[in-house]
Amino acid sequence: MLEWLVRGLRHGVLTTGYPRETEPAPAGFRGRVAVTRAEGGSAALERLCPTGAIRVRSGRVLLDRGRCVLCGACVEQAPERFAFVADYETATRSRAALVVGDVGTPAPARPALGDRRWTLRRSIFIRHVDAGSDGAEEWEIQALANPYYDLQRLGLFFTASPRHADVLLVTGGVTSPLREPLRRTYELMPEPKAVVAVGSDACSGGFAAATGEVAGGVDQVLPVDVYVPGSPPAPVAILHGLLLAAGVVTGEAPA
Amino acid sequence: MSARPERAQHDALTSVLGGLAAEEPGAPEGERRFVLEAQGLARAAAALGAAGGHFAGLFGCGPEPSAVVAVVAFRGELVELRGRLDGERAYPSLAAATPAALLPERELHDTTGLVPLGHPELEPLLRPDADRPQRRVAGPQTFLIPYGPIRSGVVEAMQFPIETGGEDVLAFGVRPFFKHRGLERRFAGMSLDHGAYLAERVAGPEAVAHARACARAAERAAGATVPPRAERWRLVHAELERIAAHLDTGAKLAEDAALSVGAARLGALKEEVMRLRARLCGNRFGRGVVVPGGIRNEPLLVPAEVAAALDALEADLRRDRRLLLGTASFVDRLVGSGTLAAETVTRFGGVGPVARACSLGIDARLERPYGSYPRLGFRIARATAGDAMARWEVRLQEIDQSLHLIRQALESLDRLPPELRVPVAGSGEAYGWVEAPSGELVYRLRIEGSTVAEARIVPPALRNWPLLSESFRGDVLTDVAFVEHSFNLSPAGSDR
Repeated sequence: MLEWLVRGLRHGVLTTGYPRETEPAPAGFRGRVAVTRAEGGSAALERLCPTGAIRVRSGRVLLDRGRCVLCGACVEQAPERFAFVADYETATRSRAALVVGDVGTPAPARPALGDRRWTLRRSIFIRHVDAGSDGAEEWEIQALANPYYDLQRLGLFFTASPRHADVLLVTGGVTSPLREPLRRTYELMPEPKAVVAVGSDACSGGFAAATGEVAGGVDQVLPVDVYVPGSPPAPVAILHGLLLAAGVVTGEAPA
Repeated sequence: MSARPERAQHDALTSVLGGLAAEEPGAPEGERRFVLEAQGLARAAAALGAAGGHFAGLFGCGPEPSAVVAVVAFRGELVELRGRLDGERAYPSLAAATPAALLPERELHDTTGLVPLGHPELEPLLRPDADRPQRRVAGPQTFLIPYGPIRSGVVEAMQFPIETGGEDVLAFGVRPFFKHRGLERRFAGMSLDHGAYLAERVAGPEAVAHARACARAAERAAGATVPPRAERWRLVHAELERIAAHLDTGAKLAEDAALSVGAARLGALKEEVMRLRARLCGNRFGRGVVVPGGIRNEPLLVPAEVAAALDALEADLRRDRRLLLGTASFVDRLVGSGTLAAETVTRFGGVGPVARACSLGIDARLERPYGSYPRLGFRIARATAGDAMARWEVRLQEIDQSLHLIRQALESLDRLPPELRVPVAGSGEAYGWVEAPSGELVYRLRIEGSTVAEARIVPPALRNWPLLSESFRGDVLTDVAFVEHSFNLSPAGSDR
């Protein structure tokens, strides 16, 4: 065991300073897609997207990041309009805010957990539920416990029991056999509670939205406080979403 | 690839299936197609199994469907047995003679209504009810723990109905399909490129394998040849994916043994692989790299940068693994847990590290070499004990072999022309197979022009789930986590 102790100490501190410091994504990282030119789009642009994330309304190009699975088909086919942005902070507090290029005013979001009960800012317990993900989101949530992210330093802990949980992290577009277990888990959680939808599948159903096997996003079943789009969102992106739900940070994803 | 004695194989296969099925010519190299009536499917599959064939999968083909297709790996070729239904809605079950067909036949029954006559346990498989797990052992002193679909920890949804008398596991049930998303149906009508993007979202931890199997099926159906440079980079991504998956297994096993520094170390190494992949292609799972006909872009790192990162990783891992294998509290939990016999693995058509840990030489990269594998040297990883420790040893050996393969691929890149992609279009059907981290993954694609007309997936997890049940022989409840994680199967892949 002593050897393990030495082994653990040898590598020094690997942990990121996020959110105290910014965590830059590597060059070329496909964090989110931005619409670089929204005006004068043709309806043909809609067909570029396999999940229907692109909509053209009276010549204006709208991109729904909740549906976008970051495949890059649009970036490849129409580079004059779409570009990848190497950024981690993709989470928003309303579904409407995920639609880039929308001119309407987004619906007001629920107050963050920390604003509903300030003591929650210090220590927050998280329960994860898989409602039909592709498995990648689970890897990224697990990664939050590794020494690079070390979730516990921020007072965030995973818990097995929903009765102890403040935040429900949900992945996947909610398949029918998981709908009831998910709803029950939510009901067992004490108030106040927040739901974070992790991944584009959880935001909209992703590719499966068209098959009729999923509800088409967590917000079809539960009230969602924070949406973290991405396929999958990187660990820092999920952390951003968690801190947004807790009220520790307030900055949402840029349009 | 053609160094093997084709003539002799031809004779072996046709003599086994002689009189049972008629061969259909025109299949791409590495696969063979036989047509027969669905009535004879069970006999033909059993005959192949008796002659050393390894059952892979079973699914319906065509609208309604018009045929039941069984796929068997036989002496370096993938054999398709297409049983014509001729309007019938039932066929004799294969499962009695070939237990590997148990789950696929139930799935086919649920999705199409086709009845496998004589199936021993035709319970519904799709849309499982979490509150109604099946009991297999009845007794006054036993009870059932319906473990799942929501379980402790950050894990995928899956139910394991465990029957116990208190401490010993009397029966370990496996209930997948909580995550069924109907993705096979989703492929129909998509462009080939979009199909590959969907494929890499069927199972996240095996994204590259899915994209590659899908792309290979399309390329083989269209008769396209992928440029060698693209094949080398595909190999690099596929082997990085394998290293990440095996490190993930190690981190979970260390955590099960309450070895927190070990879990942190392996988790950190896995994170380094994920970051390397992100720097290489912009995605931590290697998504967006493989496209039908090649790869999308020249990677963002030069070969020397990748090689340097791998050298650092290998040096780190060497120390961690020496420590890990010298820690009794870790090794003792793995040795003798979840032991499988080679014969059981063959009977259920098991694949991947699970099969290789029972000294079976099952690895698609060697059985039916594809891409750059025939040009590069590597050894098949094997162990003999068949327990959780043997599976972990196989994974450790595979990490070494993957590093060796990546280095060879990187070294040869300088000499290859810069071409990365060829157009893929045509009409026809073909299989694409790859060795995913958890075992062989097979796609069957029918393409029309540049769109997917029909897609079928034979995922490795579906072939290995029954073995997870079978591996509980005298194990106790506290072994469950070790055995499950030594398999490290993804429900997302099996449920589709």
